[in-house]
Amino acid sequence: MHIPDGFIDGKTAVTAAVISATGVGLALRQVRRELPPRKIPLLGLAAAFLFAAQMVNFPVAGGTSGHLVGGTLVAALLGPGAAVVVVTTVLIVQCFLFQDGGVTALGANIFNMAIVNSVAGYVIYRMVCRWLTGIRGQVTAIAFAAWCATVLAAICCAGQLAWSGTIPWAVAFPAMATVHMFIGVGEGLISALVFLAVYRARPDLISETASAGQPQRLGELVRYGLLVTLGIAIFVAPFACSWPDGLDSVADKFGFGHKMSPLLPAPAPDYLVPGIHWAVGATAVAGAAGSLIVFALALLMGRWLVPKPKDL
Amino acid sequence: MSCAIEVSDLKYRYHDGTEALRGVSFRVAPGECVALLGPNGSGKSTVLLHLNGILPEKLSGNGAVKILGEPVTPNNLETIRRQVGLVFQDPDDQLFCPTVEEDVAFGPQQLGLGNADVAVRVQKALAQVGLTGFGRRATHHLSHGEKRRVCLAGVLACEPAILVLDEPTSDLDPRGRREFKALLRQIPATKLIATHDLELVVELCSRAIVLDRGSVVADGPTFELLNDEKLMLEHGLERPHILHHHHPH
Amino acid sequence: MPCRRPALPFQTEGPVSVHLVNHHHGQPDSLVHRLAAALKLGVALVIIVATVLAPIQWRAWFISVTMLLLLTAGLSRLPLFFLFRRLLVLSPFVLGVVLVNAFQPGDRDKWLAVAVKSVLCLLTVILVSNTTPFSQILRVLKSIRVPTLLITTLALMHRYLFVLMDESERMRRARASRTFTRGRRFHWNTLATVVGQLFIRASERAERIYDAMCARGWK
Repeated sequence: MHIPDGFIDGKTAVTAAVISATGVGLALRQVRRELPPRKIPLLGLAAAFLFAAQMVNFPVAGGTSGHLVGGTLVAALLGPGAAVVVVTTVLIVQCFLFQDGGVTALGANIFNMAIVNSVAGYVIYRMVCRWLTGIRGQVTAIAFAAWCATVLAAICCAGQLAWSGTIPWAVAFPAMATVHMFIGVGEGLISALVFLAVYRARPDLISETASAGQPQRLGELVRYGLLVTLGIAIFVAPFACSWPDGLDSVADKFGFGHKMSPLLPAPAPDYLVPGIHWAVGATAVAGAAGSLIVFALALLMGRWLVPKPKDL
Repeated sequence: MSCAIEVSDLKYRYHDGTEALRGVSFRVAPGECVALLGPNGSGKSTVLLHLNGILPEKLSGNGAVKILGEPVTPNNLETIRRQVGLVFQDPDDQLFCPTVEEDVAFGPQQLGLGNADVAVRVQKALAQVGLTGFGRRATHHLSHGEKRRVCLAGVLACEPAILVLDEPTSDLDPRGRREFKALLRQIPATKLIATHDLELVVELCSRAIVLDRGSVVADGPTFELLNDEKLMLEHGLERPHILHHHHPH
Repeated sequence: MPCRRPALPFQTEGPVSVHLVNHHHGQPDSLVHRLAAALKLGVALVIIVATVLAPIQWRAWFISVTMLLLLTAGLSRLPLFFLFRRLLVLSPFVLGVVLVNAFQPGDRDKWLAVAVKSVLCLLTVILVSNTTPFSQILRVLKSIRVPTLLITTLALMHRYLFVLMDESERMRRARASRTFTRGRRFHWNTLATVVGQLFIRASERAERIYDAMCARGWK
């Protein structure tokens, strides 16, 4: 999902960069304040770990293979702030050293994969954990959270591409969302398996690192949440809702219609190949249904992977 | 008699409760070169980590370890670490900077020296280990032997009075081992070396301490100890072949 | 200095990294290599930003940038085959956009713009990253007040990247040597265990690094 240079235009790149810089700045401040000095090298090592882990091939079918992206996994293991810093580090190194993702697109990539993926993944993970306790709950939670985070990040990416005019929303959203609904399953499964593997070998590490990384104040989490919401509002909402139409007509009425239009992208169904115009709605429905199905699957998986301990 | 290192009844438990050290006591005089021997798991590394205050995690300063007469307490860690240079077992853990120059400069910079002084120390340390000109090399591109030498240089650049080494010649090929031994021989600091390399012990160390399961089981002149075949075998070691033909000089 | 010339121009020290990493580690030295990192980064940034912002109609800009990049590529003495291979990374994206826009009765200039811009920007980054040591890039970032915590994290990541990749590959090989079934489920479990182990080893190594830093006086 790394967007190369030239695929998003100036305004999108700048907006995303500003939001990302704020988010990373928040994360750095939180980490500096709350992470014990002992754990500081862990950030760099976790970034190296994530990169190495992303290279591991999980064979699927006929030559294709899945890979871990890992934002939610790192968030579950180290906390949201640390995860934002870690994934940002990975993205920067990937951009400069391996040309995976463009320089102007760095802001957008960081927003999608470091901020949305980690924060949304963490929030969903903790919400599910509150409901389902124990290691089984954690495994289910991380699987579901990783799926959601992957799809959400993909939707934001589609929004950025659409806002830049590179690919129209009606094509980008269904394509990115559906593809990532499948990729997300792999991500959820792999994240859960790895989490379980770490837990089995070093359960103390899980509790130790997780508690070190938890935001001490609710305010921190709220601030991240606001940032994510802002980004989604800018990149996704204009397409998802029909308010641009409404806003346009209002603007026309008051006589400043032309000033608004360059900024607000107009969804234009008449441009499209016939049949695609319903793809957007269908994808949204599929997404909602999909999340219920995935949650059920995650529950089953948790039950299968973590046998209930025989009570003594 | 003033001691460089004085360890009295040192005890330590791991997180899970197992006793790692059960009352270890020994002394090292200034200028001595002493070997710390013992089978794997005997606690050698654990002892070494106590010498500059890394262990125990919650330092109480109860005086179990004294460096140059001063007990190791949370307040004087800076001074202690200036005097004790610890070379770790895995060079990759110690070489955390991207270039050789930066890594060797790390210690002097933490000491608060100015840029000019740091540069002088870096050059001197690199020369001491025979790696002049390696300054710009990337640390992850070095061979294992070169990494070990850079680690040593990084510690020497701090000019410590006491040098503590954890398995300095493991994983080195015979030439690497020879070169490293020659380097160590030339360093005048007090040395405590935890090692399995019995030839190194014979060649460099006048005294040896044998550790087994967290306790000191022997402490005496190298030849006496290493020639005691029964003692060696009992504690997971062996009498080195070099002693069959060696004459103390 | 003992001479250990790599057989291929892109081999690195670790036995495994050479296959997994597309970064050029050979020894060529050139005019471009010797330029100051800040200069290279600055110029690259200007080129990239301007190229992304410029409308495709400004043919003069795109042509001159292309010439400059080709000139730099020549001066840098980087193997052409290597450069070309790195550029191919873009192909699926460009293809995707081309396909989508092919069905649109919009202007063809759009896909041309995307293709040209992305290739030029990619080439710029490839040239800079392969002629500038990463530690120098970090130094430039530090001078523009990027927070120290981020710089330290970047430095440590870069330092231990290859170490961890080698560890991961060694573990995978060791496991594969003892794997006799071809079941995919078993496979995934094994791979997940390897990745899990990698995290544990990374954590333990991070602690040892912290100890090593403290041992040399880090506060």
